[in-house]
Amino acid sequence: MAIDINEYNSNLKPTWCPGCGNFLIHMSLKKALSELDITPSQTYIAFDIGCNGNGADKINTYAFKGLHGRAIPLAAGLHLANRKFTVIADLGDGACFHEGLDHLIHAIRSNYDITILIHNNQNFALTTGQATLTTDEEKPMYGLPDSKPERTLEPSEIILSANPSFYARGYSGDMQQLTELIKAGIQNKGCSVIEIMQLCPTYNEECTPQWFMQRIHKVEDSAKTLEEARKIGTITNENINTGIIYRNTELKTYYELQENRKDSQSELVDEVNQYDIQKLFDQFK
Amino acid sequence: MPTNRYCIKLGGESGQGINTLGILLSRAIKSIGYNIFSYREYPSLIKGGVASYQIDFSNQYIASSSKNCNILTILDPEAVHEYLHSLNPRGILLYDDSKVEFTPEEQAWITQNQIHVIYLDSEKMAVEAGGSPIMANIVMTSFLWKLLEFNPDDLANIVKEIFASKGEEIINKNILCLNAGYNTAEFKDEYSQRAYIPTLPTEKKENKILTGNDAIALGAISAGVRAYYGYPMTPATSIFKYLGNTYKETGILIKQAESEITAVQMAMGSMAMGTRALTATSGGGFDLMQETISCAGITETPLVIVLAQRIGAGTGVPTWTGSSDIHTAVKSGHGEFPKAVLCVSDIQSGYILIQQAFNIAETYQIPVILLTEKQIAESLFTVETLPQPLQIQRGMYDGENRYSRTDNGISPRWVPDFNKKPYLNTSDEHNEISQSTENGEEIKAMSDKRMKKMDTLLSNLPEPTIYGNPEAQTVLVGCGSTKNAILDAIATGMNISYLHYDYLYPTKTQTLLNLVSSGKRIILVENNQTGELGKILTEASGYQFEEKILKYDGRPFFVEDILNIQI
Repeated sequence: MAIDINEYNSNLKPTWCPGCGNFLIHMSLKKALSELDITPSQTYIAFDIGCNGNGADKINTYAFKGLHGRAIPLAAGLHLANRKFTVIADLGDGACFHEGLDHLIHAIRSNYDITILIHNNQNFALTTGQATLTTDEEKPMYGLPDSKPERTLEPSEIILSANPSFYARGYSGDMQQLTELIKAGIQNKGCSVIEIMQLCPTYNEECTPQWFMQRIHKVEDSAKTLEEARKIGTITNENINTGIIYRNTELKTYYELQENRKDSQSELVDEVNQYDIQKLFDQFK
Repeated sequence: MPTNRYCIKLGGESGQGINTLGILLSRAIKSIGYNIFSYREYPSLIKGGVASYQIDFSNQYIASSSKNCNILTILDPEAVHEYLHSLNPRGILLYDDSKVEFTPEEQAWITQNQIHVIYLDSEKMAVEAGGSPIMANIVMTSFLWKLLEFNPDDLANIVKEIFASKGEEIINKNILCLNAGYNTAEFKDEYSQRAYIPTLPTEKKENKILTGNDAIALGAISAGVRAYYGYPMTPATSIFKYLGNTYKETGILIKQAESEITAVQMAMGSMAMGTRALTATSGGGFDLMQETISCAGITETPLVIVLAQRIGAGTGVPTWTGSSDIHTAVKSGHGEFPKAVLCVSDIQSGYILIQQAFNIAETYQIPVILLTEKQIAESLFTVETLPQPLQIQRGMYDGENRYSRTDNGISPRWVPDFNKKPYLNTSDEHNEISQSTENGEEIKAMSDKRMKKMDTLLSNLPEPTIYGNPEAQTVLVGCGSTKNAILDAIATGMNISYLHYDYLYPTKTQTLLNLVSSGKRIILVENNQTGELGKILTEASGYQFEEKILKYDGRPFFVEDILNIQI
C-alpha cells in the first residue's frame, strides 16, 4: 500500500515554465518515494541552485537547499550522519558538470549510499540560458552568438570513468520509466547516479518532446562491463538510450569500508554525548 | 633572556630527524621535572633546507620561546651560518661536521661573544661505540646532556621508550652511543652549564607534553564530535592526524575530502542531520569555505571550523606563524548574518574553546570559527591536567516552524527524526515556514530575527580576562599566542597588566573602555601587520589604539620582545 502522494506536497505550487521537464521529474520523485513507502520524514533531499532547486519548497520532506554545485557533498554529509534516511542530491547539469564536477567524481569513487538526480536540460536555465558542456556545439547561447568554443562532453563518459555502483538515464517525458529508475536507484546500495534528459522549452526549444521521442530507445538489460556501458551510454544524433545502463553490485559502500564503523549498530546522530578522554590523555608522555 | 629559563636549539637539514630528536630531548627534560616549551622552525619542503627545534625549559610554567639560546647544537654545516647569531654571549656551539668553515665575520663574532665552539666527530664515535652512523644524533644529544650535567639514566629511559618498537638490538646500540657521548674525553669542566640552569621545581608533577592541536582534538572528542572532514593544510593537518590515529578508540568517522569546499559542506550536512562534525583548515582553505559559512548563516545551520593561521597572503610562508586571518574570520562569508569567532591561546583554551564552539554553534544555530596559530598548533606545551570538560549544550527544541520568529532570535530546531515533522533548511531568503521569499517585509523580518541572535549571544559571553598587576599603568591588549609571551614576561616580574580576548566576535568592550577611561597606557600587541584584533575592537567600541606593537616576520613574539617594551 503506497503512501498518498499528496503527503509529499507542500502548500506551494511549482513555478516552472509551462512544459518544463521539472514538473514530471518532481512528480516521479514523489511517486518513487510513495511506492517505496518512504515517508516524508524518512527522506532528506539536498537541493542545488538552479531551476530544479526551485522545487525545494514545493516538496514536503526534510530538505536542505544549499549552494550552487554543492548538493552532492552536502548529501554525503547528511547520509554519513544517519544512514537510516533516504538521502537524495538533486541538481542540474550546470551544477553537476561545471561548478561541482569534482564532487560528482569523488562521490562515485567514494560510493556513498546516496542517489544523485541530475536534471540535464543542456543549459544553465535559471540564469536565462548559458551554455553547459552538454549544450550543442553549434547552438548560439546567452552571450555566445556564435556558440560555445569549448567541446561538448558526454555525461555518461564522465560518470562511467569513475566506475559507478549504479548509472541510469531517464527522460522527463516518461514518468513511468523515470519513477522505476529512481526507485531502483534508491534501492541500490551505493552511489546511484541518474541522469535525466529534461525538456526545457524556453532555452532548449529545439529538443521538443517529438525530438526526444524520435531518438529515445529503452534498454532492457544493463551492461555487463564498463566498455559495454560506454557504448550504450553514448548519445548520438539519432539515438539516446534510457534505462539502467550500468550497475556494479560488487562495490562496497564508503561506510562499509570504515574499519572503525562498519559493524556499528548506531548512527553518528545517536552518539553526541560527552566522552571521557582520560585514557587518551594518559597516552601522552 | 630571563634567568628563570634555559634554552637549547637544535639546527640541521630539514628531514634530518631534527623533530624526532627535539621530541626526545623535550620528553627527557620534562621527565626530570622541568616545564618545557618547544618550538619548531622548518621550511615547506620534505628534504633539504634548514630547520630548527628550540626547547626552552624552566622551573615555572612557560609557554613562549626565547629569542636566543644557551646551546646551539648543529647537525648540518649549512645550519651553522643560519643560526649562529641566535646564541647568547658565552653560549655553546656544538657541531659534528668538520666541513664547517666560519667566515671572518663569524669568527670575530664568536670571539667577541666568548662562544665555546665544540666539535664532536659523532659519527665516528657512534660507529666505534658499536652503533650505526645514523646514531650520531644520539651521541650529540648525550654530549649535550653532559653539558647540562643531567643524569644520563634519565636520558636513557626516554631513549628506551622512544625506540621500544624497534627491538632490543637497536635500543642497546643507542644506549652504547649514549654512553659514548656522555663519557667522552672531549668534555671539559669549563663547558658545564650548571650555573646557568634554573634549579629544579621543588615539587615534581606528573606532567605531559601536548601540542595545541592535540588539545583541540581532545576537546572535540570530549564534546561528542562524531565526524571529521578534512583536507591537508599546514598548520591544521595535525588535528586530522590525531583524530585519525585514534579513530578505533573513539569511533569517529574520518574523511579526507577532495577539497576544503567538500569538507565544509560535508560537515554542514552532518550537523544539519543532527550529529557534531568538525573541519579544520588554514588561510587559503578557509577562503574556499566561506561560501558555506554564509550558507550556514542564512540557513541557521550550526557549523564549527578551526582556522589554524600561518603568516601571509596567497601561499604566504606556509610553515611559519602569525595571526593575520582574524579579520578574514570575522568578516567571512558574503551577506550579513550572525557568527562567532573564538581564539585559542594554549592547551587549556584549545581544549575548552572547541567545546564552547560547538555549544555556541548549536545553541545559536550559527557558524563558529575557532582561530589558532602555527605557534600554538605545533608547539609542545607542558600540561599537568586538562580542565573539567564543559557540559554539552545543543539548544534543541521542537516547534511548529523551523524559522519561527522568537524574542531571542533562536528558532526551533530538532534532530531529523522519522516521527517528527520534516522541515526545509534553505539558503534562499525565506519566511517562517521555509518558503523562499522576495517580499520586502518578510526579508527584513527574517534578517532581523537572525541578527537578534548576535545580541543574545553577546549578552551571554564573558568579558575579556585581565592578567598581571591590575594596578599597573601599562596595559597590553591581545589574543592568541601573544598571551603566552606576555604572561611569561609578567612571571619574571614585568609590571604590566594584560587584557586577553578568547571571544573575539561578537565583541565585549566594557572592560576595555573602563581601562581607557581610567587613563591607562594601552598598547595593542599583535602577530600581524595591521592590528586586526584592534580593528575589531575599534569597530565595536569606538576606541582608537594609539600604540601598537605589530610583528609580522613569521616569528612568534619571543619573551624578550615583551620584556623590551619600554614601560
